[in-house]
Amino acid sequence: MAAKDSPLKQFEIDPISNIELGGYNISFTNSSFAMLITVLVITLFLTLTVNTRSIIPSRMQLISELMYNFIAQLLSDTVGDNGKRYFPFVFSLFMFVLIGNMVGMIPYQFTFTSHIIVTFALAAVVFIGVTILGFINHGIKFFTFFYIPGVPFYMHPLLIPIEVISYLSRPISLSVRLFANMLAGHTLLKVFAGFVVSMPFFTGVFPLAFIVALTGLEILIAFLQAYVFAILTCLYINDAYHLH
Amino acid sequence: MPQLNPEFFVSQLFWLAVFFTFLFVFLWRVSLPRIATVLEKRQNKIDENLSSAKELQEQAMEIEKKINDQINKAKLETDEKIKETINALQEDVSLQLSSLDKDLEKKVSDAENEILKSKDDQMKNINNEIVNITKLTVGKITDIELSDNELNKVIETHKGNFN
Repeated sequence: MAAKDSPLKQFEIDPISNIELGGYNISFTNSSFAMLITVLVITLFLTLTVNTRSIIPSRMQLISELMYNFIAQLLSDTVGDNGKRYFPFVFSLFMFVLIGNMVGMIPYQFTFTSHIIVTFALAAVVFIGVTILGFINHGIKFFTFFYIPGVPFYMHPLLIPIEVISYLSRPISLSVRLFANMLAGHTLLKVFAGFVVSMPFFTGVFPLAFIVALTGLEILIAFLQAYVFAILTCLYINDAYHLH
Repeated sequence: MPQLNPEFFVSQLFWLAVFFTFLFVFLWRVSLPRIATVLEKRQNKIDENLSSAKELQEQAMEIEKKINDQINKAKLETDEKIKETINALQEDVSLQLSSLDKDLEKKVSDAENEILKSKDDQMKNINNEIVNITKLTVGKITDIELSDNELNKVIETHKGNFN
């Protein structure tokens, strides 16, 4: 357990109501609450802004359409026509991570993307899904994915294990990237917030100014990490279609 | 680090699965089709407007072509009319000129005839005078009374020597 004023205290999970199911603790916690808010924000926003279905969009409707087109463009650029089937999934993933990160930027609000178990679960879904997709599309030939053509034969004993390891480390790199970014950003914010309080009267303004700047940067990173998560998912889907 | 505390792993995974599945199904079935319909509707509208604009443009081009055709036709007609008028005028002028020429020719030939006639008359008068003078002269010199016929005959035979 972290100390009371530790910068890591913000990542602690507090159960709101204790629920147990089949011997497992599935308490509704502050993390679940953040997910609930995230899901509500996304569904309500995307539903209400497009409610009028007007040809000339309102500003809010335009935001929804821009998000839609952003991910649709991303998918068609990386995967091509095959990508259309995965659009709902990639869009959901992008919005879930993006709004999860953004909700986390609200002071005192929990950031569920700063928990490795959450990001790892999302990455594992992508990894397992893409691997199954690869086997569906190519059958046993999918293993040639690890074989790099045009390389001298004596290099293969070295390269094939490297390829396998890099493939297997995909969910780890995908999840740790998001988790570490969120963890570091929020920890840094908390550390500087501590400085604001602990420094003698007016000098506390400087770390406060730094926090303001850092908040802007964190919002950028929140978007960037959601984008990276989505684009890597697209690239992995593309790999499942096109082997080397 | 609280992230590595497995106490709430199952709870997090459970709620993540619940909320993410709900989000996925909701977006897949409700939100995204809605946005897609709007975008499609807009695209259709744009396509429709574009095609109608194209049609109108074609119509405009057709009308322009018609106008140009009419202008060309009018030009040709005017040219034809001008040509016709010029031709008619030229014909008229040449007709009048030729009639003038004829008139002039006639007048010239008339004048010539008159001149010739008067010359002949004069010659006849001269002949008569010559006859008379000869008659008188011969009558005065001699007592021979010459008839006009004889004198004329003599004069005719010597006519070449008068000139």
